[in-house]
Amino acid sequence: MVKFENVEIKYGNFVAMNNLNLDIKEGEFFTFLGPSGCGKTTSLRALVGFIKPSKGRVLVAGKDITNLPVESRNIGMVFQSYALFPTMTVYENIAFGMKVKKMSKSEISRKVHEVADKIKITEEQLQKNVSELSGGQQQRVALARAIVLEPKILCLDEPLSNLDAKLRIDMRLELKRLQKDLGITTLYVTHDQEEALTLSDRIAVFNNGYIEQVGTPYEIYNSSKSEFVCDFIGDINRFGTGILTFINEQMGTKLDTAKTGFVRIEKCVDTSKPDHAKIHGIVTDLEFNGILTKYTISCMGQKVKYLEKNDGYKYYKEGDSIDLYIDPRDIMQF
Amino acid sequence: MGKWKTKLQDGTINIPGLIVKVVLIWFIFSFLVFPNVNLIIRVFFQDGHFSLEAVENIMKSQRAINSLKNSFILAVASIITVNISGILIVLFTEYFDIKGSKLLSMGFMTTLIYSGVVLVTGYKFVYGETGIITKVLMQFFPDMNPQWFVGFGAVLFIMTFSGTSNHMMFLTNAIRGLDYHTIEAAKNMGASQRTILFKIVLPTMMPTIFAITILTFIAALSTMSGPLIVGGPDFQTINPMIRTFANMTTSRDIAALLAIILGLATALLLFVMQKIEKKGNYISVSKTKAKMVKQKIQNPVLNVIAHIVAYVMFIIYMLPIINVLVFSFTDGMTIRTGVIRPDSFTLENYAKLFQSSSAYRPYLVSIVYSLLAALIVAVICIAVARIVTKLKRKWDKWFEPFILIPWMLPSTMIALGLMMTYDEARLNLANKILVATPVILLVAYVIIKIPFSYRMTRAAFISLDGNMEEAAQVMGAKPFYTMRKVILPVIMPVVISVIVLNFNSLLSEYDLSVFLYHPLFQPLGIVIKMATDETATTEAQAMAFVYTVVLMIISTIALWLGRYGGIETVKKLFRKRGKVS
Repeated sequence: MVKFENVEIKYGNFVAMNNLNLDIKEGEFFTFLGPSGCGKTTSLRALVGFIKPSKGRVLVAGKDITNLPVESRNIGMVFQSYALFPTMTVYENIAFGMKVKKMSKSEISRKVHEVADKIKITEEQLQKNVSELSGGQQQRVALARAIVLEPKILCLDEPLSNLDAKLRIDMRLELKRLQKDLGITTLYVTHDQEEALTLSDRIAVFNNGYIEQVGTPYEIYNSSKSEFVCDFIGDINRFGTGILTFINEQMGTKLDTAKTGFVRIEKCVDTSKPDHAKIHGIVTDLEFNGILTKYTISCMGQKVKYLEKNDGYKYYKEGDSIDLYIDPRDIMQF
Repeated sequence: MGKWKTKLQDGTINIPGLIVKVVLIWFIFSFLVFPNVNLIIRVFFQDGHFSLEAVENIMKSQRAINSLKNSFILAVASIITVNISGILIVLFTEYFDIKGSKLLSMGFMTTLIYSGVVLVTGYKFVYGETGIITKVLMQFFPDMNPQWFVGFGAVLFIMTFSGTSNHMMFLTNAIRGLDYHTIEAAKNMGASQRTILFKIVLPTMMPTIFAITILTFIAALSTMSGPLIVGGPDFQTINPMIRTFANMTTSRDIAALLAIILGLATALLLFVMQKIEKKGNYISVSKTKAKMVKQKIQNPVLNVIAHIVAYVMFIIYMLPIINVLVFSFTDGMTIRTGVIRPDSFTLENYAKLFQSSSAYRPYLVSIVYSLLAALIVAVICIAVARIVTKLKRKWDKWFEPFILIPWMLPSTMIALGLMMTYDEARLNLANKILVATPVILLVAYVIIKIPFSYRMTRAAFISLDGNMEEAAQVMGAKPFYTMRKVILPVIMPVVISVIVLNFNSLLSEYDLSVFLYHPLFQPLGIVIKMATDETATTEAQAMAFVYTVVLMIISTIALWLGRYGGIETVKKLFRKRGKVS
C-alpha cells in the first residue's frame, strides 16, 4: 500500500534519513519507533508531502506520489499538538476538510455526526469551542477531523504524548479498536516502546537516520537484530566476559566471550529449570513498584537485574543471597 | 518548459505569491529605500560632486547646533523622569495594593487615547497663561510670570507624564507575567518587601525597562509637539528646527542633514538595544507560574505616601482631559479668559461640529487617512510576516530588514525624503508627481506605521502552531484558502489590535502631516495645532477642545473594541439577543 523506495531526506547538508526502504501493507497498523531525532517523523512527513525527498520515491498503491502536492494525496494526519483551529468550533473543525471539498451542507452535517458518534463526541461538545475541551477530547476531535475525510492512509505523529498516563492507555485501546473497525492503513510515530508493542501489527525501529529492524512486536522484542533495538526496547541485562565464560563452562555452550551478551531481565528466574545456567549473587538494591519488584543483584562483580512478581510468596531484602537461572538460548549477541 | 510546468503544478512556483512579492519589492524600493537614499545623495552631492557644504552650514548655524544639544539634553533627562513616573504608575496599579487602583489605572491609561500635539495642547491649556494651575499659583505668588510654563522644564514635565504609554502597555504585562512563587520563595527566605521589589521584581522587569528606555530616548530625541508648543524661543529641538529649515528652499539641505543625524542616532540606539537584549538572560525558568497577588505596603507611613503620590499623579494625568472636557462646553469668552461664569456653558461648539462642514471636515480627513493607512499597513505586514516566517527561498528573509528600515528613521526624515524625491516625475511611479497630492500623506502614514506593526504581526505568526497550516493542507485546502480560513482568524486579534493602535495614533498625527498635508485636506493634528497659536481665534480654540474630546471618545471606543475585548462583548450581546428572540 505504502512504499518507500531508496528515500533519502536532507536538511541542507544534514542527512536526516538515509536510504529508507519500506513496504507497508494495506490495513496494517505500522509504527515508526525510535528516539527523538532518529528520522521517524521526517519519514512520515515525507509520506504526507510536507518534505520532499532528495532521492528516491514514495509510492501509494503503486502510484508515485513523490511530487504530488500535499492537498491532493488524500492522506489523513493527526498532529502531536493536534493543530486544532482555535477560532472554530468542534463541528467546524471536523467539517473543515469537507467544506474545502465543497460538499453539501446536509452531507457535511451527516458525516460530522456519524464520525462524532463513532469517536464518542457528544452533540453538545460539537458546538463547543475547541479550547473548552479537555486534552483527551481535543485528541478525539483531531482524530475525527482526520478520519471523516475517509483517507486511504492515516498518519499519527505521537498523538498520545500530550495526555496523562491513564488517559493514554485508554486512548490507546480506543485507537486500536477504531483502526480495526475502519480497516484503514495506519502509520504511527512514537518514541514510547510500550505503545508501539501494544498497538502495532509491525514496527520499524529507527536510529540516526537508518532503520535498524522491521518486524512484528514479538520479533522485535524477542529476536532483536541489533544492540540498539535490544537496548531501546524493554529492559536488558548485559553480561560481560566473566559471566559468559562461567555459563560456557557450566553448560558447554559456545557464547562469544569477546562480545557482550544481552538478556531480557524477565528471562532471569530464581527457580531451577532444565538447561538453565545457575549464577549466584547478592541483592544490593531493590525498586518496589506495586505489581513487581526489580532487584539489582551483584553476580561475579557485575550488576544483574531480576524481576519478581509481588504475589506475597517471595520477598528479598538487601544483602540476601540468591541463585539466578538463565537459559543460554535467551542470550542475544550481535 | 516542462520543468516550469511541473514546478507550477507541484506548487514550487505559485503565481499569486509571486505577484505579492513583486508588489512588495516595488513598494520597498519606491517608498522605503529610494527616497532616503535620494535624500542622502541630495545632501552630500551637489552638482554631481561630493560636498560637505551642508555640514559646514550646520556648524555655522548656532540655532541648528543648539537644537541638537537641546534634543540630547531632553532625551537624557526624559529617560530618567519618564522611567520614574512610568515604573511608579505600573507599580501603583499592578504591584502594590493601592485603594482605587482601577480608577488610577484608567487615569494613567489616558496617554493611550491622546498624544502628540493634542496632548501638549491640553497641558498648555492647564498650565499656560490662562490655565487653572497658573491661576491658582497666581493667588499665592501674585508677582510670578503668568507665562512660566515655557522652555526646557515645561517640555520635560509634559514628556514625563505623557511618555508613559509604553510602560502602561508593556511593563504592565511584564508584571502580570511575573511568577508569584518567586516572591513567595523570597518571603519564605526572610526577604523584606524592599528587597523583594529591588532584588527580585525590578531585575525581572529589566529587559522590558531597557527596551522602554530606548524607545523613550528615541521619542524624546525626535519630539516635535512639546518644544513647538511650549518650548518657547530658547528651547527648540531638532525636529521643530528641521521643520523651520525645510520651509525655506535655501536651507533644505540643513534640514535634511539634521534629519539624517537624527536617523543615525536612532539607528545606533536600536543597535545598542538589540545588543543589550541579547546579552542578558532573563528568561523565566518557572515551570508552573502562579498568578500575581498585589502587595500591601506594610510600613504605614510609606503606605500613606504611596497613596498620596499615586493620586497626585492621577490628578496630573487627568487635569488636561477634564480641562478640555469642561472648556469644550463653554463659550469663547470663557476660553479666552479662563474664568468660568455661571452662564459660560453652551452646547454651541458641539452643534457647530455637526452643522458646519468646515468643522467636521478635518475629522473626515483624519479618519479616512488613518483608517486607510492602518488597513494598508496591516495587509503589507501580514504579507511580509507570512513570507519571512515561512521561508520558501533563501532570499525571502531579506524582506525583513528592508521592511524595518523606517524603524531607524525619524518621521521628519521620511517626510523630507518623500518631499525631495517625488517632487519630480519618477519612472517607478509611472511618472506621476506625488508632492502636493493627498496621496503623499497616506504613503507617509503607511511608512511610519510599518515597523511596529510588522514586529507585532511577525510575533503573532511565530507563535502560530505551524502544524495548523499543515493540518489544513492535509485536509485538501490550498494555501490561499488556509490563509483566509485558518491563519487569519487566529492572528486576527493581534492584527485588529495593531490596526486600532495605528488608527488612534494617526488620528491626530502632526509631525509628518505638517510637512506633507494637502491644503484642501487638512488633518486634525494640523487644525488643532493651529488653534494653539497665539493668532488663533477663540472660535478655533473652542473647536480644538471639541475636536480633542471627540477624538478621545473615538480612540477609547477603538481601543476598547480592539484591545480590551470590546468586539467579544458586542458579539456576546448580539448572541444573547439572538437567543432571546
